Amino acid sequence: MQLNFIHKPSGHCENGVVSNLLRFYGIELSEAMVFGLGSGLFFAHMPFIRLHGMAVTSFRPLPGEIFSRVVMLLNIKMKKFKFRDKELAMKALDDVLLKGTPVGMLVGVYHLPYFPKEYRFHFNAHNICVVGKEDNVYTVSDPVVVEKCTLTYDELKLVRFANGTYPPKGRMYYITDISSKKTLDKEAIRRSILRNCSRMLRIPIPMFGVKGIRYLAGRMRKWEKRLGSKKAALNLAQVIRMNEEIGTGGAGFRFIYAAFLQEASDLMNEPILREFSNEMTSIGDMWRDFSYNAARLFKKRDPESITYDQLADKLILIADREEQLFTGLEKLMKDAK
Amino acid sequence: MKTNEVPQDGSILEKSGVRDVCYAVDENGEYKQVISVGWDPKNDAINYAWQTINEECEEIKKEIIAGKKSPLALHIHRLVMTPEILAGYSGFTKHQIKKWCKAKHFNKLSESELEILARALNIEVKQLVSTD
Repeated sequence: MQLNFIHKPSGHCENGVVSNLLRFYGIELSEAMVFGLGSGLFFAHMPFIRLHGMAVTSFRPLPGEIFSRVVMLLNIKMKKFKFRDKELAMKALDDVLLKGTPVGMLVGVYHLPYFPKEYRFHFNAHNICVVGKEDNVYTVSDPVVVEKCTLTYDELKLVRFANGTYPPKGRMYYITDISSKKTLDKEAIRRSILRNCSRMLRIPIPMFGVKGIRYLAGRMRKWEKRLGSKKAALNLAQVIRMNEEIGTGGAGFRFIYAAFLQEASDLMNEPILREFSNEMTSIGDMWRDFSYNAARLFKKRDPESITYDQLADKLILIADREEQLFTGLEKLMKDAK
Repeated sequence: MKTNEVPQDGSILEKSGVRDVCYAVDENGEYKQVISVGWDPKNDAINYAWQTINEECEEIKKEIIAGKKSPLALHIHRLVMTPEILAGYSGFTKHQIKKWCKAKHFNKLSESELEILARALNIEVKQLVSTD
């Protein structure tokens, strides 16, 4: 059984799954629009969550949040589940799938056979969509792969119940009813931008949003002294991987958000949003510059490579620019009503 | 980033079907999707992490030869597992796994226990008791 499901690759797994899922129901939203509506831009540096023994830096909200936000704004009904029993989780998937419904799910990447060996770390917040089943083999639409791919029953069971930081616990979600769907209007976009501004500016904990970038900068300055040069370099490499690798985003996410602001500018008839989009693009370029210089530091091939202090300075600059942008954006959206 | 500046530094992704979809502006300032096979700073970060793991594995091998650590410690590290994650996959406790990372306890493991561990690590028992 194969669903008539159009697979398009995307920059970020959850956007991609949501955008592909909505297309199946005849709702055409670009990846950037999904990302923006889901208020997907974020920053968090969380020393209390560890991955490979190091603090987690994330450039996105918790998995599942983009999907929840988008279906809420469009008034689409959906269901989500998590499971304790593995067989039950697979049976629930089969039941829904055989009724002709594509099912999105959260998986760990460690055991995904089509991932390159180098990418197989215990990263458990990857989204895929199951769109077909022949005998024991599932057809899977994974947004980071160009074509559809396949997973056997056992492989899928394994990745759905991956272990480690933030285990997916068989989480799955699907759309149940689109009859009361609202068309995308100015108000929905305005609200989603406001929410994103508030998340970047107003969470009263120093690890999140713009403050989180400054917090990471502060900790970065002490790495070498506190951990020694080897562990410091490893921590930096982890930040870069989270900055650039699929799934967590970083610089790439700034560009997706800029693309969203561009689309929003046309839809809302608000030409000034294009200027915000341009500003976001240059912030994305600053993140890339940060990654580029950081890579030079831990490779140590460069005699003139920069220090942790200088890298932290770059982060502070980024934080200032992002704070300015989101403050301006928030004011614009509040006045727009 | 401009569309013609999107990096195409393939060294990891090109062997697989996985690609990075990047967003960049074209000559008219409009955002477009561009598919990329990777970027050097990112490849370097991944390779650096693996290089460190390999170096640490060599250290562990020395300790195995010295009779302190068991091959299990090596495989856990080589496969970027932790005792906690392996405990989750195998059904043993974290404490048991940690204990078996020492040679004297590892040598007392039964055939069936070794088999469960090997399956959880996705390797053969033959490999589990060796340092390959």
